[in-house]
Order: sequence, then structure tokens, then C-alpha cells
Amino acid sequence: MSNTTKKWFSLNLGSRKENASSSSCSCGKKEGDCHSADTSPQQKDGFDQVFDVPMDRRTAFKKLTASLLIGAGAVSTSCSLVSGNESKEKAQIDWEEQFKGNYKLMSEEEKKATVERLARSYELRTGKTINLSSQGPEENVLFGYAFNISKCQGYMDCVNACVEENNQDRNSQMQYIRIHEMKDGKGFNFNEADDNYYHEVPAEGHFYMGTQCFHCDNPPCTKVCPVQATWQEEDGLVVIDYDWCVGCRYCMAACPYDGRRFNWSQPEVPEAEINKNQHYLGNRLRKKGVMEKCTFCVQRSRAGKNPACVEACPTGARIFGNLLDPNSTIRWVLENKKVFRLKEDLGTEPKFWYFMD
Amino acid sequence: MKNKHKILVNWVGYITVLSLLISCKHHEDEYHSITDKIEAKSKSFHATSTTSELHTKHLNTIKITEGEHTFLIPERTGEITSFACTECHSSPLKEMKGTASKKAHWNIKLQHADEHTMNCISCHNGDNMDQLQSITGTPINFNKSYQLCSQCHSKQFTDWKGGAHGKQVKSWAPPRTALTCVNCHNPHKPHFESKWPVRYNTQKIKERE
Ligand code: SF4
Ligand code: SF4
Repeated sequence: MSNTTKKWFSLNLGSRKENASSSSCSCGKKEGDCHSADTSPQQKDGFDQVFDVPMDRRTAFKKLTASLLIGAGAVSTSCSLVSGNESKEKAQIDWEEQFKGNYKLMSEEEKKATVERLARSYELRTGKTINLSSQGPEENVLFGYAFNISKCQGYMDCVNACVEENNQDRNSQMQYIRIHEMKDGKGFNFNEADDNYYHEVPAEGHFYMGTQCFHCDNPPCTKVCPVQATWQEEDGLVVIDYDWCVGCRYCMAACPYDGRRFNWSQPEVPEAEINKNQHYLGNRLRKKGVMEKCTFCVQRSRAGKNPACVEACPTGARIFGNLLDPNSTIRWVLENKKVFRLKEDLGTEPKFWYFMD
Repeated sequence: MKNKHKILVNWVGYITVLSLLISCKHHEDEYHSITDKIEAKSKSFHATSTTSELHTKHLNTIKITEGEHTFLIPERTGEITSFACTECHSSPLKEMKGTASKKAHWNIKLQHADEHTMNCISCHNGDNMDQLQSITGTPINFNKSYQLCSQCHSKQFTDWKGGAHGKQVKSWAPPRTALTCVNCHNPHKPHFESKWPVRYNTQKIKERE
């Protein structure tokens, strides 16, 4: 199998020599697409990727068994004269989705195709349309965030906005952002911080600080993923392909900042509350057993908007912008305020700075 | 002699292979720290095609330049109910005092510094109610009321100009629109009240189990 058509990562345990070249990207290049540069123009999509390649019998059997249900559904509906065109289309979509590759390795056309399939599938299932984007990173953009500890009052407007924007599960009350209430004069003592405060804020003698995924520039979470379902994009966003994640939670264990959240059950959002402006790597509806986290609202930030938390904060404690733009406000903060990051000695290089007035 | 030569060739070979392997570690995209990365990458910075215009076009803004910073702030006079003030304040304040005219502004109670420091005319011009005035009596347009605040709150003013205080509206992309002082602070009562959070944190332990 040549590397140019390979659409997934496999473990190289040394038994197969020809894989050596592909694993040489342990060179440590941190940002996405280590292979995209040399992909050939005629790429295969959907199940062609799987079936149009030589593979041994065992793998073939495994893949077939895994797809049996979908396959059976597709066959029965496509052969039946009774079932309508819609269910045939649905089966076709499920079939192609089942065999698609890792988003990180897809060409632009493939990304578009999967996004279209998913949007169409949603329409077929619910009768409602969503706007699902596959917009990629822009050159000369590196997103960064600053948080003013003196300003945050613990109002939690950011968390509210985040949950609504990102279609987080309402039952388990998943939240990407945590606001920690800390006692003045004790420094950042996370062990003694109150994360579940229930009183008027700000409380006398306390300060508040928020944590979320810091979009580290040297993220430990992406390195431990056995299937490379999570990676850093060129604009600095650390993202997850929910369809490629196998839910092993290694990344959650590797994150030193409690940045990741896991779906223990099928996430549910009431239809009326679903944010239909979605991104493949962002707030599209997730499934049970996959990892998710803050994406700096990729569906908003790549469109030029501020993340929902930044917009919702009534105190202006949250500052977001392009780290590469010398005239951006985030750059002014980094250059003129005393900024620091959490656990800097780990070398994770979070792109999330704290400062005080 | 021949043998030595062979060894030498071998060594050269090894070293080439090794250096190739090592050089892979020093990809040009690699930086020792995020600061290095930002510094290196912003040297060749070109303005992005993403702009804030799409998201701020419904706002009525004015452009201001303060020191080395130029940005947009929301237009204010259009927002004030019953501007222009001279529609009611047809004569100077002194003359209106004690007349039978309708009571107005009854709900304004000044809670800003104390009475030694501030009263109405610290900011308002009794002779021309359509304008504000600085401590020394120079007129200040309502649209640029931040110039009043900056007389005392100079540290906040510096931070606001740079972007560390206040809020950038809607978009991170240029051109920048920033809320001005009075968009968040009531000038007659600038302090923020304490209140109940809009929601509560989830039980962290429960979620991680
Ligand atoms: S904060 Fe955690 S989840 Fe986010 S990039 Fe860093 S290590 Fe990964
Ligand atoms: S939970 Fe998903 S994203 Fe995280 S390491 Fe496992 S497969 Fe990768």
C-alpha cells in the first residue's frame, strides 16, 4: 500500500518495513497534514479507499464484519422496490460515511464531500437544514487568548454562551469552561478552589479565573492519540475528528489542564436549541463515546468572529485575536502586560495567557 | 590502505544518513517556544483576508485616533434618549432652577467618587448642555466621552487604547471596533453590582468519574 493513498494511521510495531517512511513524521512536526503536501491528485473517496486497495484476508473480513449492519441495510433498501429514494440515499450516505478516512488526511474535495453528506443526512433524518462548514485555516493567522484575572467576576455568562454555541450535551451538563473561585492571597491553589460556588458573585475576598483547552503549541494530548484523531491545525487550533476518535481517553489523561471532555452517553440537545451554524471540527452534533473540548469556536473564529465566550463576557476579561498580527489587541496585551501561563515549565506552550490589571 | 579508504567512505555514509535523520528534527516549522514562533512568523505578516466588516456593518461607529492607536467606537449621541439636550435645556441651568418646568433626571443619583471630587458640572457644561466639558472647561463631544474618563482613569485609558481593558466588538479581525467606557459603565454609577451567576458549574468530580 503506498503512502499516498493511505487514509489512516496504523501502529508501526516494527514488523513491516515499508511503513518506516510514514512513521518518520515522529520528527515532531506538530501541525496538521504531515502528508497532505505529497498527496496525489486522484484521491479516492468513501469505500473506494478501503476496497480499492490490496489488503490481506483478515483485514478485509474485519472491515466487512464491522460494516455488516450498514451493508445489510444498504443492500436491503437498495434492492427493495418498496422503500423510497430517500432511504436509499440514507443508506448510501451511511455506507460512504462508514468508509471515509481521517479528516486530517482528506483533500479539500473529500472534506467538502463528507460535510455535504453529513448535512444531507441530517436533513433526511430530521427534515431540518444545517449549515456545516469545512473551512480550513487561513495563512498568517495564529489564534491566541488572554484572560484578565482582575476583571473576571464569576458571572458565568461565558459558560452559558459556550454551551449554547457548541451544542453540548444538556443531560450531563457538559461544560468546556470552568470558572474557579479562589481565595485572595493564596495564589493559584486549584486544590482549594471552589468550582461549584453557589452564591452572589463576586464574593468578598475572592478572585475568579477560567480554564478551558489552552490550545497548546506543543500539545501532549495530540501525541498520545493512537489513531491521530486529534491534532493541531496551522492556525493553532487543536481539534478532534469526532468520527475518527475511538474514545480511548488517552488524550484526556495526557492533558495537564483538564481541557478535555468525554461523552459518556449520546449527547442530546433539544431541537429548538441546536445551533445550526456548524463546523466539522467544531460544534457539529457528537455521538456517544467520543472526546470533545473547546475549539476556540472554530465555526466562529475562522469566519472572523470572536468565540462565544469572548462575546458573552460582560466584564471584558476575555481577549482573543491573531498572535501574528502586530497590531492586534492580543499582541498589545502580550507585549505590555505582565502575562503568565499555567504550568509553563511543562513546555506545553499554551496559547492562553493570564494577566492582571 | 584500501581498507582504510573503505572505512572512511563508510563513515561518510553513516554521517550523511545520521545527519539526514537529525535534520528531520529541525524542520523549519519548529520553534523552541511560542514566543519564537510568533516573532518569526509575524516578520512576514501579511494582512489577512478575514475582516470584521461583515460582522460590524450594522453598527454606527466613529473613527478615533489616540496616540498611536486608531480604531472605531460606537457613535453615542444617537443612542442617548432625548439628545440633543438643548431641546429641553433651552436656557442655561441657572435660569431653569426653581422654574415650574417638568422635573427631569429624577432617577439619576451620582455615585461616582465623592462630593469633594465630583458633581454634575465635573462633566456637564451648564451653559451648553449639548456638550460635556473637561476639568479645565474645554468642551468634549458626547461621542468622545472617554476623554472625560481618561482625566482620572489614566491607567485604564492606556489599557483600553491597547485593548487590555474593555471589549472588542464581534470580531477579532481588523478593523477593530472597541466599546467605549459608557457602553459598560454607567457614568453616574460606574461600579458593577454583585449578582447571581447566570448558571452554575457542573460537579467536576462527577463528570470525570
Ligand atoms: S490544554 Fe489540554 S487539551 Fe488543550 S491543547 Fe493543551 S494539552 Fe491538549
Ligand atoms: S479519546 Fe479519541 S482523540 Fe483522545 S486519544 Fe483516544 S482516540 Fe484520540
